[in-house]
Amino acid sequence: MKEETGTSFLSFDGVSKFYLSRGRMLGGSGRQVVALNRLTLDIRKGEIFGLVGESGSGKTTAGRLIVRLEEADRGIISVEGQDVTHLKGKRLKDFRKRVQMIFQDPYQSLNPQLSVLDTVSEPLLIHRVGDRLSRAEMVMNALQSVGLSPPGDFVHRFPHQMSGGQRQRVAIARAMVLRPDFVVADEPTSMLDASISAQIFNILLEMQKSLGITLLFITHSLAAARYLCDRIAVIYRGNLMELGPADDVIQRSRHPYTRALIDALPKFGQCGETERFNTFLKAERESSSTVGCAFFGRCSIANRILCSQEVPPFKTVSPGRRVACFFAEEQGKNLTASKTCHYGI
Amino acid sequence: MKGDKEIRHRPHWFEQFLEGWSVFWQNPLGKIGVTLLGIFALMAFSSFIPPLVNPMYHPMTGVDPEIYSSVGPSARHWLGTDFMGRDIFSQLLAGARIAFMVGVSAAFMSIFLGTAFGMIAGYMGGFVDTLLMRLADVIMVLPTLLVVLILASLFGQLNIWTIVLIIALFRWPGVSRVIRSQALTLKQRPFIEAARVAGASHIRIIFRHIMPNVLPLAFLYMTFRVTAAIIIEAALAFLGFGDPGTVSWGMMLQWVWKTGHMFKALYWLLPPGICISLITLSFYMIGRAMDEVLDPRLRREETAR
Ligand SMILES: Nc1ncnc2c1ncn2[C@@H]1O[C@H](COP(=O)(O)OP(=O)(O)OP(=O)(O)O)[C@@H](O)[C@H]1O
Ligand SMILES: [Mg+2]
Repeated sequence: MKEETGTSFLSFDGVSKFYLSRGRMLGGSGRQVVALNRLTLDIRKGEIFGLVGESGSGKTTAGRLIVRLEEADRGIISVEGQDVTHLKGKRLKDFRKRVQMIFQDPYQSLNPQLSVLDTVSEPLLIHRVGDRLSRAEMVMNALQSVGLSPPGDFVHRFPHQMSGGQRQRVAIARAMVLRPDFVVADEPTSMLDASISAQIFNILLEMQKSLGITLLFITHSLAAARYLCDRIAVIYRGNLMELGPADDVIQRSRHPYTRALIDALPKFGQCGETERFNTFLKAERESSSTVGCAFFGRCSIANRILCSQEVPPFKTVSPGRRVACFFAEEQGKNLTASKTCHYGI
Repeated sequence: MKGDKEIRHRPHWFEQFLEGWSVFWQNPLGKIGVTLLGIFALMAFSSFIPPLVNPMYHPMTGVDPEIYSSVGPSARHWLGTDFMGRDIFSQLLAGARIAFMVGVSAAFMSIFLGTAFGMIAGYMGGFVDTLLMRLADVIMVLPTLLVVLILASLFGQLNIWTIVLIIALFRWPGVSRVIRSQALTLKQRPFIEAARVAGASHIRIIFRHIMPNVLPLAFLYMTFRVTAAIIIEAALAFLGFGDPGTVSWGMMLQWVWKTGHMFKALYWLLPPGICISLITLSFYMIGRAMDEVLDPRLRREETAR
């Protein structure tokens, strides 16, 4: 399943995004927030790529840059070798036919005034696909494939007449109805309960298989990423920390931040204190946001001098496996969910 | 989906409207206002009847052949006649029709303009927003009546539709501010971003996604505009700048005054005066009741996620 080769579909090349924080309004100088810092990675054709990180690490920003809800301040985003960073006009519209997004909150991402039929057929209408009848049929098929069946029961409903899980299915149908090449799913289940989440995951998996879509799955949960993804990238405050095949990143994690995330996963069964990495500092250490490792302030294994002064290179530790830590090779302790200890989603 | 709970396929805005209406109807002010308005509507609709009964009841051209001056109420003329023997009651009915026509059409046009400009300003932001809102500020501080009076004295008698148009052109800024602030919050909502990702144009987003969400508010604001339009038309007519071809309550008052019957013929002076007061009062009460509907509902929308 996890080949090391594969043609790159979408690539980030040194992409940065800055925001001005709101302080400006109160007369103070606008503090610049670095949402993404020189992100470089490739997403391969047909894979499910997981982008993992805690809240505020820039995951959503990366997704929004791809679908062009925001524009990158630096760097290049390309799709199949074509630079799409600053597309405009007709070419942007054509691009949007191929790249879609599923949003985090299904209570907010559907227009309350539009019926399911209107919502799901809108992308078809915008891109002038088919006629009225064939569009209706495509909508029906899309609803069927996200598990809203019989679709006839749902097409005339409005968002307030559906549950959160049903709404998210409608949102997925809207993203898939154009049969895009690439879909960004931004924490699509964070507003839903666990059993519905599992169903949504399976719908995504099925659609990815049947339509051959490349999927960027954004999540804060390593366990969810492991369940769904072929490869995972872990980011911290806009910086890429670790990258590799999903199982490998979790079973043989090498970056202290990834390990801290694994520590934070809910565990079931007999999990003693020895099953923890403890790489998260209890109290944050003073650190500079401009020099040194981004994780230095919270890293328990950091070298005070080296890590606070130099940015660790993003080096390859084994084929297809890259880590941004000076001590990546020395990290011997490998923990996996053992027979007695399981990670929850 | 519960089997017993039938799902009605009604647009969300329609349900919002029904829900708002039921809250509205709880309010005594709203009830009185709507009842009063109902009576005026009835008057307006029945204004076609008197001329059919007898041509002498035509409010403009019908003259009682036996009467040459203003006389008091009788069985033949329920509210008496004016100075040349025209029936005051049928004039009053015709006046109701004109009041509705002027009020509703001016309000509709100003709401149309206000909603369009408000949505564009709020959604587009930046330069367009600044330009439209400065324009709105300038127009908002101009006294409508005075401007219309100046125009009327420059161009002579104004046609009733010209008056309606001028009132509309001067009364959109208030609505546009309200709609703009709605559009500002709407454009941050993820469903607008979802439409953008789907490739929707600005026009499409404004009309397909923003407009249905601001329309309930726009329609509720219409009632306030109706009052203003009716008062302005009445004032113009009374001051002698009305459309001489129409019978409005303001015109009736002007005839009373011009022919020197001000205090001699109360049966002629009072009915149009009372009607103007009551119709504005009814719209005012409806507006107040709507305030109470709107406020908590807007708040509920914020929290009921
Ligand atoms: N429009 C904006 N204006 C200012 N700052 C922003 C804006 N959008 C995001 N940021 C900042 O950029 C950083 C990254 O935000 P982002 O939403 O990408 O994080 P995230 O990883 O998706 O977090 P979460 O898991 O909470 O969704 C945060 O520090 C955030 O405060
Ligand atoms: Mg996010």
